[in-house]
Amino acid sequence: MPIHEKSLIRPENLEVHEHLEIEGVDVSGHWSTFIGSRVVADYNEAMEEEIAALPGGEYIHRCWQCGSCTNSCTVNALNPDFNPRYWIYLIRMGMESELLRDKDIIWQCVSCHKCTHVCPRDVVPEGVMKATSHWLELKGHTPKSHSMIFDEVFSEQVFETGKIEDGRVIKRFFKRTGQALAQPWMVDMVKGMLRNLPLGLLTRMGLATLVAPRTKDWGDARAAIEEYVAEREEHNRKALGLDELIQSARTEI
Amino acid sequence: MTKPILIVGGGPAGLAAAHSLATFGQACILVEKEDRLGGAPILEGYAKLVPSGEWAKDAIGGMVDRAANHELVDVRTGTTVSSFSGEVGNFTAGLSNGDSLDVSAAILCTGFTHFDSANKPEWGFGTFPDVVTTSQVEQMISSGQGVRCPSDGRKPQRVAILLCVGSRDRQIGREWCSKICCTVSANMAMEIREELPDCHVYIYYMDIRTFGLYETKYYWKSQEEFKVKYIKARIAEVTSDGEKLIVKGEDTLVKRPITIPFDMVVHAIGMDPNVDNKDLSAVFGVDLEPHGYIGKANSYSATGLTNRTGVFVAGAATGPETIDDSIAQAKAAAMAALEQRQLAARLVS
Ligand SMILES: Cc1cc2nc3c(=O)[nH]c(=O)nc-3n(C[C@H](O)[C@H](O)[C@H](O)COP(=O)(O)OP(=O)(O)OC[C@H]3O[C@@H](n4cnc5c(N)ncnc54)[C@H](O)[C@@H]3O)c2cc1C
Ligand code: SF4
Ligand code: SF4
Ligand code: SF4
Repeated sequence: MPIHEKSLIRPENLEVHEHLEIEGVDVSGHWSTFIGSRVVADYNEAMEEEIAALPGGEYIHRCWQCGSCTNSCTVNALNPDFNPRYWIYLIRMGMESELLRDKDIIWQCVSCHKCTHVCPRDVVPEGVMKATSHWLELKGHTPKSHSMIFDEVFSEQVFETGKIEDGRVIKRFFKRTGQALAQPWMVDMVKGMLRNLPLGLLTRMGLATLVAPRTKDWGDARAAIEEYVAEREEHNRKALGLDELIQSARTEI
Repeated sequence: MTKPILIVGGGPAGLAAAHSLATFGQACILVEKEDRLGGAPILEGYAKLVPSGEWAKDAIGGMVDRAANHELVDVRTGTTVSSFSGEVGNFTAGLSNGDSLDVSAAILCTGFTHFDSANKPEWGFGTFPDVVTTSQVEQMISSGQGVRCPSDGRKPQRVAILLCVGSRDRQIGREWCSKICCTVSANMAMEIREELPDCHVYIYYMDIRTFGLYETKYYWKSQEEFKVKYIKARIAEVTSDGEKLIVKGEDTLVKRPITIPFDMVVHAIGMDPNVDNKDLSAVFGVDLEPHGYIGKANSYSATGLTNRTGVFVAGAATGPETIDDSIAQAKAAAMAALEQRQLAARLVS
């Protein structure tokens, strides 16, 4: 094997046998490195449909692999492994195991939408990145990201009260992500606020933290939002076949 | 009264030339080798044509009626031209049925021959019944039978269309692009998805050449509305595991070998030079261009002229052409023949 091709082979595909004899020839040890094949053996046709069913993924099937999104991408400039064009291809062709290799970087998309503005086919790659991160979480391939937890805490509070009270959002977020509230930057920020904000505003903020105000007559709006969210979640679960997945996991246990 | 003009070949090109000449009061004789007029779209039973979307039997059938029913068009089917002598204005053509014709000029509209997929044995045609050609799928659709696996009549759930079969391949001496097969394949993929919505269609390509306005109408539409999948790979081999066809190749975009099971594999066959071209070249004294199609002079003076004055050529006889372009060329060649008649008349008077 020419040396330069070594870079194309993933370490887990290199096999070295301590003791191996083939037709009387001893091929043990490092001198006889074997390369496991990396053949794509089938397409998982459900994968594209699942991701297309999540918000943002709708136009994935239009992609013709020109690479404009990757060329324009903010994150790709920092990390060449961050490659929206490539992931879109893997998803479209249903190469799931290949996609899962990159599961820990896909969520790094910063939603700058540069890709959206260059894509000649209106695929909206940013949306596809979002849908893919979401898909990875829903399928249990990645743990909930901090940004996802933050979104949840934030929207929960809006749904509950119709208002946002930053202090509570931050408290809950830190709690759910297992972080200490008294972080140095936080302490500095609060100190700064106490020093610089007018007393009236501080008093109101303090009260709000204590009594958690609500929007008047919020009940109906809340019910409508919750109904919509439940519908959406139901839709996502169905699109991804999650209920069946849970069902079959249960019967196995 | 000038002598009739000989038209050889009754496909879209020959029919268009005959109709044009007759409309201008020029008598013509249409000689066709097969026992039916209509050329490839009729003889091979194509389904809906690109880009009109009309059924071949209606569209080209209409052309057949128009030409054959014209009193100035004399149709001779089931025969070929075996000798051709004389000069412009005064040719004598001997037919294989023994007839002899006095004609003033000739337009060769002898078309192309479908690539025989058996010449690419590694892609499974002739070995596995479910490996078929675009012509065969056209017939499945036009006959109303629908797209079915020939082996057992089942509806395929996954179809691969391999592009450039018999084109762009130096291994088999065919360096040309057949021009229409990308568009025909994209159209076919949509027809399959329309008839069998649960069937996934994959197109394996090297380049997609849905030129000009066909881009949106076929390539984009097949992706955007019909979710046809395009994979950049030239397939190495089609085999079988006893149940399914196994398509092997390299997916060049991910640098991975692939071995994917399919129910049906379709060869997008190319347009070879007519197998008769060597004979036609000898009989009519016309040169072939390097690929084996009938050579034509540049278009700037007399459109569609061959190297022999008074002998014109049009349509797929000159190289891979679409129906629309074949018709346009035939009309241009008819016009060039009329120009020549006019010029001769002026010289005489
Ligand atoms: C699978 C497939 C699908 C296609 N679908 C489309 C489509 O949808 N739209 C489109 O625009 N194009 C399509 N094409 C291309 C189309 O078939 C050609 O453009 C068209 O047939 C060319 O017309 P022609 O008259 O030049 O030649 P032909 O159609 O080949 O006609 C030539 C005629 O000459 C006769 N002939 C041949 N040799 C002799 C001889 N020695 N003496 C007497 N007669 C002879 C033949 O029998 C035939 O009738 C398709 C091609 C293929 C392979
Ligand atoms: S939105 Fe995401 S994928 Fe698109 S350019 Fe920005 S970082 Fe890259
Ligand atoms: S820019 Fe658009 S079409 Fe091009 S690779 Fe990216 S998503 Fe696909
Ligand atoms: S038109 Fe497309 S399929 Fe046909 S030879 Fe050209 S590139 Fe290949």
